[in-house]
Amino acid sequence: MFSMDTQTPYVFKVKFPSDLDYVSPVRKFVAETLAVNKFSPKFAYRSEVIVDEICHNAIIHGSRTVDATVEIECKVFSDRFEFQVNDQGGKRDDIERLKHAMKKSDARLADASQEKESRGLGLEIVRLLSEEIKMEVGEDNMTTVRVVRKREDA
Amino acid sequence: MPDLKIQRKPLDLRPDLTMWKIEGPLDAESIGYIHREFDSVLESKQNFLVAEMSGVTQVSSAAIGQLMGCRQLLVERGGDLVITGVSLDIKSKLSAMGATKIFKFYNELRTAVNAYHWEVERKSEMVWMSFPPELQFVPPVRQMVSRIARQKGYTNRDSFRIETIVDEVCNNAVEHGSERLKKNIDLNIKIDREKIELEVINASDPDKIDALRALSTSMPKTPDAKLGQKRGRGLALIKMLSNKLDINFSGDGTSVHVTKLREE
Repeated sequence: MFSMDTQTPYVFKVKFPSDLDYVSPVRKFVAETLAVNKFSPKFAYRSEVIVDEICHNAIIHGSRTVDATVEIECKVFSDRFEFQVNDQGGKRDDIERLKHAMKKSDARLADASQEKESRGLGLEIVRLLSEEIKMEVGEDNMTTVRVVRKREDA
Repeated sequence: MPDLKIQRKPLDLRPDLTMWKIEGPLDAESIGYIHREFDSVLESKQNFLVAEMSGVTQVSSAAIGQLMGCRQLLVERGGDLVITGVSLDIKSKLSAMGATKIFKFYNELRTAVNAYHWEVERKSEMVWMSFPPELQFVPPVRQMVSRIARQKGYTNRDSFRIETIVDEVCNNAVEHGSERLKKNIDLNIKIDREKIELEVINASDPDKIDALRALSTSMPKTPDAKLGQKRGRGLALIKMLSNKLDINFSGDGTSVHVTKLREE
């Protein structure tokens, strides 16, 4: 039944309108998919938190035009979960703000004594809960955020 | 002279739509000012107005009553007056006044514009999914579609029926799809205020195509039409729950298209 291994993942994708209405169904879908693939409830829930943050950012700062979409592509390996969220690119200011937030969350994690601000905490939470997070800005400001989480009970 | 300021401007996302950036106290003294500003909205033939209220410092029932009157006029013209950006404090006051039962509230302008597309322009929205042909993926997929339907205002009953349709169609796609190719199943969802359309596409198993074609053409009208016959019950169930069902078999793929009208 399960052909999942460390090399050949299950791949699934969802592309949805850039609207906050869709974030809850999508993040729950990802969590339930991890649960049925034998990841622990804790792992599934924390992944749901990460998906929520990144999709929320993609909608608010990325895919802002009329009819814009956001795409999430997930790969489920036996020992890890990888996913990427692609948005259609925000304004230059939004992208610079996102880059800045990524750097800032690095600095915050390195120095826990830094003052906390509620704005930008999302990426800090993502970084705290994942093994790897990368951001790429392509042509026309198309933005991809890639996240890797390793199975905690592996 | 009221301390309230209303700045009227077009929305960045949809310049043909108008936004009011409201700042200051929405008190009884501002009623005349709101009335005058609203007259200019009506003169410009706008029927959808977004009131951005992140800068509102206090609210009075008299001013909210005035806004309700404005909204009523827009609703009669097929539009609406919606509110975005209110603070928790202001929202709790509006809730105590009963305004949350009258106005629609959105967290940000983008969501308000999407609501305009959905409610006023009655545009449909599309979701595209792709998942592996394994049975364990079906429950999360069907639940996601059901949640989307509920989120878009469909009743629990309608959403559950949609979930049942997705379950049947996707299970069929997994069970009767090609075991050799192991190609992902595509599920395309088109939803609007009146109906949801589902299209499930899977790679076909050439050995099963003829049997499937025969099964789909001899589909019983009700599940108990042929007691003892186990095959074909899923398709009969889909047919009962939906308003239109089309199945297309081609050399390398099977596509099932289901339309379900919103009932309640």
